[in-house]
Amino acid sequence: MLAKTSGQRPALDDRSWVRGLLILSALAFLLLFLVLPLVSVFVEAFRRGVGAYWDALIEPDALSAIHLTLIVAAIAVPLNLVFGVAASWCISKFDFRGKGLLITLIDLPFSVSPVISGIIYVLLFGLHGVVGPFLKSQGIQIIFAVPGLVLATIFVTFPFVARELIPLMQEQGTEEEEAALVLGASGWQTFWRVTLPNIKWGLMYGVLLCNARAMGEFGAVSVVSGHIRGETNTMPLHVEILYNEYNFVAAFSVASVLAMLALVTLVAKTALEWRFGAELAATRH
Amino acid sequence: MAIQVSGITKQFGHYRALDQVDLEVRSGELLALLGPSGSGKTTLLRIMAGLESADSGSLQLHGEEALGLSPRERQVGFVFQHYALFRHMTVFDNVAFGLKVRPRAQRFGRSEIKRRVMELLELVQLAHFADRYPAQLSGGQRQRVALARALAIEPKVLLLDEPFGALDAKVRKELRRWLRKLHDDIHITSVFVTHDQEEALELADRVVVMSQGRIEQVGSPADVYDHPASAFVYEFLGQVNRFDCTVADGVARVANGALAIPTENGVQGEAIAYVRPHDLGLSPSAGGPGRVSGIHVVGPDARVEVDLAGLTLEAEMDRERLSFLGLRPGDRCAVHIDRARVFPRR
Amino acid sequence: MVAASSTDDAALPSSGGTVLSVLKKPSVIPGFGLTMGFTLAYLGLIVLLPLAALAVKAAGLGWAGFWNAVLTPRVLAAFEISFGLSLLAAAINAVFGFVVAWVLVRYRFPGAKIVDALVDLPFALPTAVAGIALSALYAPNGWIGQLLMDWFGLKVAFTPLGIAIALTFIGLPFVVRTVQPILQDLPPEEEEAAASLGATRWQSFRRVVFPSLFPALLTGFALAFARGVGEYGSVIFIAGNMPGVSEIVPLLIVIKLEQYDYAGAAAVATLMLAASFLLLLILNLLQAWMRSRHAR
Repeated sequence: MLAKTSGQRPALDDRSWVRGLLILSALAFLLLFLVLPLVSVFVEAFRRGVGAYWDALIEPDALSAIHLTLIVAAIAVPLNLVFGVAASWCISKFDFRGKGLLITLIDLPFSVSPVISGIIYVLLFGLHGVVGPFLKSQGIQIIFAVPGLVLATIFVTFPFVARELIPLMQEQGTEEEEAALVLGASGWQTFWRVTLPNIKWGLMYGVLLCNARAMGEFGAVSVVSGHIRGETNTMPLHVEILYNEYNFVAAFSVASVLAMLALVTLVAKTALEWRFGAELAATRH
Repeated sequence: MAIQVSGITKQFGHYRALDQVDLEVRSGELLALLGPSGSGKTTLLRIMAGLESADSGSLQLHGEEALGLSPRERQVGFVFQHYALFRHMTVFDNVAFGLKVRPRAQRFGRSEIKRRVMELLELVQLAHFADRYPAQLSGGQRQRVALARALAIEPKVLLLDEPFGALDAKVRKELRRWLRKLHDDIHITSVFVTHDQEEALELADRVVVMSQGRIEQVGSPADVYDHPASAFVYEFLGQVNRFDCTVADGVARVANGALAIPTENGVQGEAIAYVRPHDLGLSPSAGGPGRVSGIHVVGPDARVEVDLAGLTLEAEMDRERLSFLGLRPGDRCAVHIDRARVFPRR
Repeated sequence: MVAASSTDDAALPSSGGTVLSVLKKPSVIPGFGLTMGFTLAYLGLIVLLPLAALAVKAAGLGWAGFWNAVLTPRVLAAFEISFGLSLLAAAINAVFGFVVAWVLVRYRFPGAKIVDALVDLPFALPTAVAGIALSALYAPNGWIGQLLMDWFGLKVAFTPLGIAIALTFIGLPFVVRTVQPILQDLPPEEEEAAASLGATRWQSFRRVVFPSLFPALLTGFALAFARGVGEYGSVIFIAGNMPGVSEIVPLLIVIKLEQYDYAGAAAVATLMLAASFLLLLILNLLQAWMRSRHAR
């Protein structure tokens, strides 16, 4: 028998053929839409053997794409981390007017198409943008350069840390902080010794998701990048270029690194959920 | 005077939590702030600790104006209702926290901190739980950790917010006695908030009864119980019979004269009379105005319900007295009132 | 013993200045000014200011110019394709996502925990990777594309059908992750009550369980739909990108931008942004309405 039910509550048991049918259709759906695409990335990557795979990764343009991806994430993720902590501190520890609006605004980037997330910066800083001509006269280039990539990445990953921390810190309330203050701790001591240890797993969870998106973002960075090989190509953009040049093995080789990143993210995320499920529960409504 | 509260007022939106409160807490006493929820007792306690600001008034801690001081400058010990133990720290680290966060110049050395913490853990009888985390302790143990943590900073006053509120009945009683004993040993000026009259009357040196942001009465437990200063205190403390009455020439007449009670305090006209059940005497009388409508025996005590001219009265006596009187449901009886307080009807 | 001056706000602990204290309840916890200031500055610079630039650019066209830029056959077709196919993909996900959630919560089978973790793959996998993987799978010479071609003569990649496949992938976790926790917390007593009152298993599902899950299902559906409308990376590789046939709105915006038609791109982007906000608003209203009806 494929499926066992809990057997604890007979009224909730479905007939065995219903169970079998539902499990099979769920698994078939997931196989078709999740497992096969994932597997195919690795199969395509190794189609010409390990040598070709490795060559695609150590080729200079690929290395520079990997380098750039790491740099962009290394700037965007810490900034959003600091923002997330600051935003959730003022939202969860204080009562003020307009809190609901603020939370909505923080969530806003999630409901904006990645392409639009890129375009807004082009319209602001680009040559024909609002402050573009001024920036050009100062010799500052943002669009089609690294600052643009960083800005677009910050935008699309903007809410990740904050939205994990806000519900978590709201649930934890302010009593422990009050206790620390009464015992003579300063504001910073209270934050580092009491608040931070209490939110560290939620913080890690948010950073994990934020980082995965920062390294994998395509649409937004595609718009601001200008696709200059070896200069403004992140890994996902490099995958696109290789694919459009019909260099499939190389495209899938670079893609497989990103897929690996996704798998590591999933494993770490699942491990956090299993280990600290109760503490993180507030973040998953 | 350990704490001097003068004219403290606190408003939350349109709701006045404290209204011109004056209070003196004497050095070394254990004082209870007693009142129903919403009476402002917790707000007053939090203002003393600096966890809440006051809109106006003054607060002196040992003669020093304290309203402008932050909680960390006030050096008060505060025990939170749900303890607020730091969940990621061991019992030891919780108690040591207040010593570890001191400015470097005033901080003790590692071994001195350890000595002090262990001493406190001995005091609260938790020395062998030093390495446990709060989640591994029972409610009563957590409460004692919270107390040790508050005492670690050698506070000038100790403030406790519903210290036994989250505990079950049996633990609550034990801990209450233990706290009283602890207070008798260390004599730290302490203020605790409670809504439980029994707790306040049993534990405190003096009781402050609060209602709707005002202090109704301050006095010893016997004082507030035996001589309630207001109708509110009468109703809030203990069981009470309450009748509408009309007072004329020092006599309160209830139910068109079915009962006449002598009064002393010069109230005239429409009023409310309060009589404790154990101040209400019954005697069997075939032609009496009352009729026994129910008898409930609880342990050694008996409660007798009496119908009198459409009112239901409750009398309390011990079982021996009841069997001596020989009253049964349906019997007629006479009602004597030994003592009553009358307050003008609002 | 003199009372402290009662009006001197600064003498009281923790009141955060006169302007702030109007908006905010006083608190002893420090750091409000610092964190709020940083939050608002960062939010303003990163999110609000750039979005305002979009609005300014689109407004530069004027009312008539805006509609001229937007009401062209190519733009309208792109909207039809984006919204239509997102709706289709969200519907597919509503059905199968519901089944997946049901199976994960109610049945125990080997590997269930792995399956559960895998559901989030579309959130974690970069969209470009998903895009090339799907197009390789569904291309006429791919593993699945070949079978569909041989058995049904069906061409998927480089047709609107391919877009639907990509959007299904990208929206897959939404329905599962909204329905799953509600199903988990559903009190079993309700179904037991239904059974004891004589309902068949199907009746108790149909009349007791499903109505409780419906708001969550609808939420997941709307989230998947909203995500699909804006999706770019996973779609462009498999779509074929034929104007009027398989060209999605985000791609059209990029194309306009590449042709230096900034105003046109801004106009289309603004319209799409307005559409997704409207969608979100409707969703929130719907949820509020359902919560008031099914308040537990």
